Amino acid sequence: MCGIAGVVRADEDVGVREDALRRMARALRHRGPDGFGLGFGPGAGFVSTRLAIFDIPGGWQPIVTEPDGSAIVYNGEVYNHPELRADLAAGGVDCRTLTDTEVVLRLLVRDGLDALHRLNGQFAFAWWQPRERRLTLVRDRFGVRPLHYAVQPDGGIVFGSEAKALFASGEIAAEPDLAGVDDVFTTWGPRAPVTPFRGVRQLRPGSLLVWERGRIVADRTWWRPDYTARDAPPEEELLELMRDSVRLRLRADVAVGTYLSGGLDSSLITALARDASEHRLRTFSVAFQDERFDERSHQQAVASALGTEHHVLDIGPADIADAFRDVVRHAEAPLIRTAPVPLYLLARATREQGITVVATGEGADELFWGYDLFKEVVLRRRALHDEAALAELDELYPYLAATGARRGPAWRRFFLDAGAPDDPLFSHQTRAVSTAAVKAFYTPEVEAALLPRDSMQALRDDLPEAFGGWGPLERASYLEVRTLLEPYLLAAQGDRVAMAHGVEGRYPFLDHRVFEHAVRMAPEGKLDGMREKAALRDLAAAVLPARIADRPKQPYRAPEFVPFFADGSPDWVEELLSPAALRETGLFDEQRVAGLVRRCRSGRASGLREGMALVGVLSTQAWHEIFCGPRADRYPEETREP
Amino acid sequence: MKQAEDARIEVRDEIREFIRENFLYMRPDLELQDGDNLLGLGLIDSLGFVELVEEVQARYGIQVQDVEITEDNFGSVDAITGFVERKRAT
Repeated sequence: MCGIAGVVRADEDVGVREDALRRMARALRHRGPDGFGLGFGPGAGFVSTRLAIFDIPGGWQPIVTEPDGSAIVYNGEVYNHPELRADLAAGGVDCRTLTDTEVVLRLLVRDGLDALHRLNGQFAFAWWQPRERRLTLVRDRFGVRPLHYAVQPDGGIVFGSEAKALFASGEIAAEPDLAGVDDVFTTWGPRAPVTPFRGVRQLRPGSLLVWERGRIVADRTWWRPDYTARDAPPEEELLELMRDSVRLRLRADVAVGTYLSGGLDSSLITALARDASEHRLRTFSVAFQDERFDERSHQQAVASALGTEHHVLDIGPADIADAFRDVVRHAEAPLIRTAPVPLYLLARATREQGITVVATGEGADELFWGYDLFKEVVLRRRALHDEAALAELDELYPYLAATGARRGPAWRRFFLDAGAPDDPLFSHQTRAVSTAAVKAFYTPEVEAALLPRDSMQALRDDLPEAFGGWGPLERASYLEVRTLLEPYLLAAQGDRVAMAHGVEGRYPFLDHRVFEHAVRMAPEGKLDGMREKAALRDLAAAVLPARIADRPKQPYRAPEFVPFFADGSPDWVEELLSPAALRETGLFDEQRVAGLVRRCRSGRASGLREGMALVGVLSTQAWHEIFCGPRADRYPEETREP
Repeated sequence: MKQAEDARIEVRDEIREFIRENFLYMRPDLELQDGDNLLGLGLIDSLGFVELVEEVQARYGIQVQDVEITEDNFGSVDAITGFVERKRAT
């Protein structure tokens, strides 16, 4: 696991400066704290910052093959690399190192891009073929690992794991792209290829981009979630698959732990990891002083039942405020929730315990229809012709009761009016409508600038051709994978906050074989009536205490108002929300924000609407200050020796 | 009659204050009149509407039925005042 970056010129006679590459390396040091490597070619320069997991002495990058000088900088893990290495060896191709990086490079050299389909893992990499002057950028199936790039006016290309590496090159300026900001306030994250920065793009999950001699010659998907119906798999196959997925994800030359939320998914992963681990497994949890968000008793129950060495990080409001801006710095995007902050702190604590790789439960809710959103789709569709379904809508999202959201006729009407059933985005209209609470704070100028580009229409226009042929819940699952999982959960709440401390998250549910299995399963295996993740619950019943296997889902959330408006809250909060700061950013209306601040200050602000508004406005202000404002981050050169 | 009129004024004041406090800060340019359409003006969005209806239910102890969620009943300060009055009378 690493950070990667590079600059390639359209004109090979124009050199790439080492100081630029060193600044890029410094900007990505958190992703690879164990060291860095530089590589140069005519009009090309590459950077890798390394978190050493496989072949610790031998795995330095860039790795170059002979005789053609094909090179790779690579961020990620391909878990089946021993099997692929054996296959290469059987064909007479030997590797110099024990890294997955070299295996991937040699497979690419031998088989071309067809090799991608054989990779089981999470990765983003740049493959450089100097003779053809061709740069190929690739991102894994679900977009676990990030990859950004910008094409320069002269045709040159700058890329990096994170956008900050591009800015550190000194060749790309950080300016807001309202489309990316507006995506956050529509579906919670900027959707690739859009980013919140003008001119900066990110590869779509499961896609590749080929740049050759100053031109992009291919920009295509090599894998996408396909929900086309096929034959149901044998039920018992799921447990075998999950065991194998976990087994593969425990492969490392360092110790692997798990994150334990106390819910079904992470508990199941922990149970399987415990079974597959040769050592006593270490588990890590976030606990909240505010009991509305706290799940420590459930976490403890799982840890005790499985006999893990358990670590709990206790989070109070001040912890969230203190780390908030650093989280925005790593997320590189506005946020609408504070929930990434505790996970940032948990990664730090995990690292301090000497663990750099953790397996977690991400992906289960999207693949096995765990979110209330899936029940909502069923009920909203049923309510069109059956009034009894209306009352059942009251049972959804019970956790929102703690934030002031209420049940009753207006709540039900909210769902009914949110979108037409023939809209391809039917399942996600309620989320878009509620998240739009932040957009109500835009200045008139921003509203006008966004008129030509509606975020939901952009999403609609980007749907795959087969989408219309899928069932309502399959469509909802696809949209969750594309709008929530990659742009938010795997990014702001996943890769970015973990890699901020050089901790690598691994996601057994996101093994593509598990995805294929989930798609093939009968719908009742996912949502059985109103019993979500039915097959996973059945599976968990065999390996976990009943109270965990049957526990209703509790979404992970964190406090939103108290951290920023309690006694002793940091001064920067009011400074960032001041009229002067808002004018400088130019995105939000001063008077409206002043009204919100008054309500927050007096303790009257409450509910989903104002919670998202506060976090949305505050994080955007912080994001602008960190990246785009006059006091934006500067990136010094990496001074360590490569 | 006087009592009923006083009650109506009190409800109107309370609704007006609730809207001022919770929503009007979003529209500092607006001089809200009691007959103004709260949704049509964009003052209250659909999520805000949920909060408004709940406030009416909770504050006045009345049960709102699904069919009563209409602009005639909740579209303005006047409409809400009239709705509360009618519900209390039944």
